[in-house]
Amino acid sequence: MKESKNSAAQMRHYSNNETVDAVVIGTGAGGSPLLARLAEAGLKVVALEAGKYWSPAEDFATDETAQNKLFWNDERLSAGNDPIAFGKNNSGIGVGGSTLHYTAYTPRAHADDFRLYTEFGVGFDWCLSYEDLEPYYDEIENFLGISGFSPYPWSEPNRQKYPLPPLPLNGAAQLMERGCRQLNIKTVPAANAALSQNYFQKHIGWRQACTNRGFCQAGCSTGAKGSMDVTYIPLAVHFGAEIRAESFATNFEFDAAGKINAVVYVKDGVTEKQLCKNVFLCGGAIETPRFLLINSLANSSGQVGKNFMAHTGLQIWGQFDEAVRPFKGIPGALISEDTHRPKNADFAGGYLLQSIGVMPVTYAGQVARGRKIWGEKLRECMNGYNHTAGIDVLGECLPSESNFVELSDEKDARGLPKPRVHFTNGENEKRLAKHAEKTMRGIWEAAGAKDVWAFPRNAHIIGTCRMGKDADNAVVNENGQSFDIPNLYISDNSTFPSALALNPALTIMALSLRTADKFLENGK
Amino acid sequence: MDIYPKGTVRRLLETDAVTEPTRTALEKRLRETDDYQPKFFDAAEFALLDAVCRWLIIQDEGSDFVDCAAFVDKSLNENESNGWRYNELPNDAETFRGGLGGINETAQNKFGAEFVRLNEFQQNEILTEIQNGTAAGEIWKTLSAELFFEELLAKAVEVYYAHPFAQERIGYVGMADAPGWTQIGLNELESREPRVLSEEY
Repeated sequence: MKESKNSAAQMRHYSNNETVDAVVIGTGAGGSPLLARLAEAGLKVVALEAGKYWSPAEDFATDETAQNKLFWNDERLSAGNDPIAFGKNNSGIGVGGSTLHYTAYTPRAHADDFRLYTEFGVGFDWCLSYEDLEPYYDEIENFLGISGFSPYPWSEPNRQKYPLPPLPLNGAAQLMERGCRQLNIKTVPAANAALSQNYFQKHIGWRQACTNRGFCQAGCSTGAKGSMDVTYIPLAVHFGAEIRAESFATNFEFDAAGKINAVVYVKDGVTEKQLCKNVFLCGGAIETPRFLLINSLANSSGQVGKNFMAHTGLQIWGQFDEAVRPFKGIPGALISEDTHRPKNADFAGGYLLQSIGVMPVTYAGQVARGRKIWGEKLRECMNGYNHTAGIDVLGECLPSESNFVELSDEKDARGLPKPRVHFTNGENEKRLAKHAEKTMRGIWEAAGAKDVWAFPRNAHIIGTCRMGKDADNAVVNENGQSFDIPNLYISDNSTFPSALALNPALTIMALSLRTADKFLENGK
Repeated sequence: MDIYPKGTVRRLLETDAVTEPTRTALEKRLRETDDYQPKFFDAAEFALLDAVCRWLIIQDEGSDFVDCAAFVDKSLNENESNGWRYNELPNDAETFRGGLGGINETAQNKFGAEFVRLNEFQQNEILTEIQNGTAAGEIWKTLSAELFFEELLAKAVEVYYAHPFAQERIGYVGMADAPGWTQIGLNELESREPRVLSEEY
């Protein structure tokens, strides 16, 4: 099937004055799965999305600069000793949200990831367990058509097989495999939401197998990558949901009992108001707390904006004698979780390792900021682009009082205060990063890398509206429901009480479906 | 250092190995700075920016030239954002205008002339001091020289390596992906990928 247009053509529409069952704000990994679930249950649902409704085949160029339109580029102020890069690093806009440019890594969390405090005496335990999420992991892997290696060596007992075999290994993955083999570090092809074979999705149709374009981080033009715009969004539309694009939510209105009865939003420069019975706020770990802070909502715990986390994401790059041509194949094709709980470590938690390919503009920008070279040295480094490959770490990040989101005095183009995000790696993150750097340099040396260099980085934005059992120290309960406003739910990476040492998208989707199911069970 | 033949990307743009949206984006970029007149910077600032860009991005003698200063000016004029900035810096417009002023101030303090009038050893020294945050000057008391330099360098390399001329130079043909890639392992090349002409200058 060649999808020439997005799924908007046959979409149902609701009037602003019709009281819909739910408004979902944001259409990324947190908003889209629950949107589909609520629509399937027969509810009237409208999703408000700040960005555009793209038709990837017509709108997406294989050109990094042209694809900057997929990133949330409203300016954020990055403070602290380790200022976080936003935009292309972790923040998306458009129907599908950040999944439009996610790498589509889909590892599951481990049972012990949810019990960090019990295991190490630091961080927080989740009020949910692996068992609570396992049925959702199963369901999502089957629906998206995850490609992966089975049996997965680091899995919890008796987990289901991946529905599709792994994607092929590119040059960077082969190099990581070579280095790891010499050091007795186990690797397998990584689980990924890009399809290794054509795959049929019920109510949507066939999606085509990945053609190894390698452009996952700047938009998949073929529909092979399981971003929300080609999976849960068309499913939601099939069941009668409306996707209202280019609609930026700004506030709520309330009834006398303190429940939300309308969402105020701006579309085409006009302020509109959608009447509704419930709201699901799914803007991600910066926009969700920013919305609540701007409107002084749902913050009796004082936890909105607090405990901002970002995975330790150090990258090690090197050049090899072989031609790598790092633009081909999914960027991260190989994984190792041998270091999930490293022996004799001087830090809490652990990390996973992934191979990385890279596009030239992204790489050049990292070389400029990370290596601080210019002129002849920069040219020499970039002339080796076709021989370049990397490995990176995704490691635990502990929640900390000194890392948080606040509102600045500076206004953005929408007239709203820009968020200021404070982030400083703590002792645990520094020790973990040091351990990971040593491991990765060892692997790259064994693989034959030359001119090796490290790019310090933190990835994935997490925390800021954490879930918990106690209204005094959490913003939402385990079902994503606000302690302060009973018909407000949050579903995105902001509710994570701890960071989990892995790519978060699959877990965000699992929580999203669980939140929808609990909402439906509890009679709305 | 690998040397690749010229014109590889431009030839691929004429084939069906490139999708229509990709061709549109790259053909636009190829013409984007023809007869460019600065819009954000004044003539003197623009000449200074051009001189600095030629230090940051070394382009081969006689090769197709990418006007990095023009792309930087255009980006600032269109108020393009990458979604974040260092809290320590003012907005991009103030950072770039202020930083260029700082370069000239340091040049005047140290060598008694504007940056563009200095010899290459002096220019190199000024830029190195600014990158290291050791340059003297009033402007650098309120604007971080190191962070300004990082922002300017990042912007310059990103506009340069987005250009087909620069991509031809490093042998990148990722834009020619309409048929997909099947030869993706080490040392595996498809027929439409460029071969190295030589490994040395």
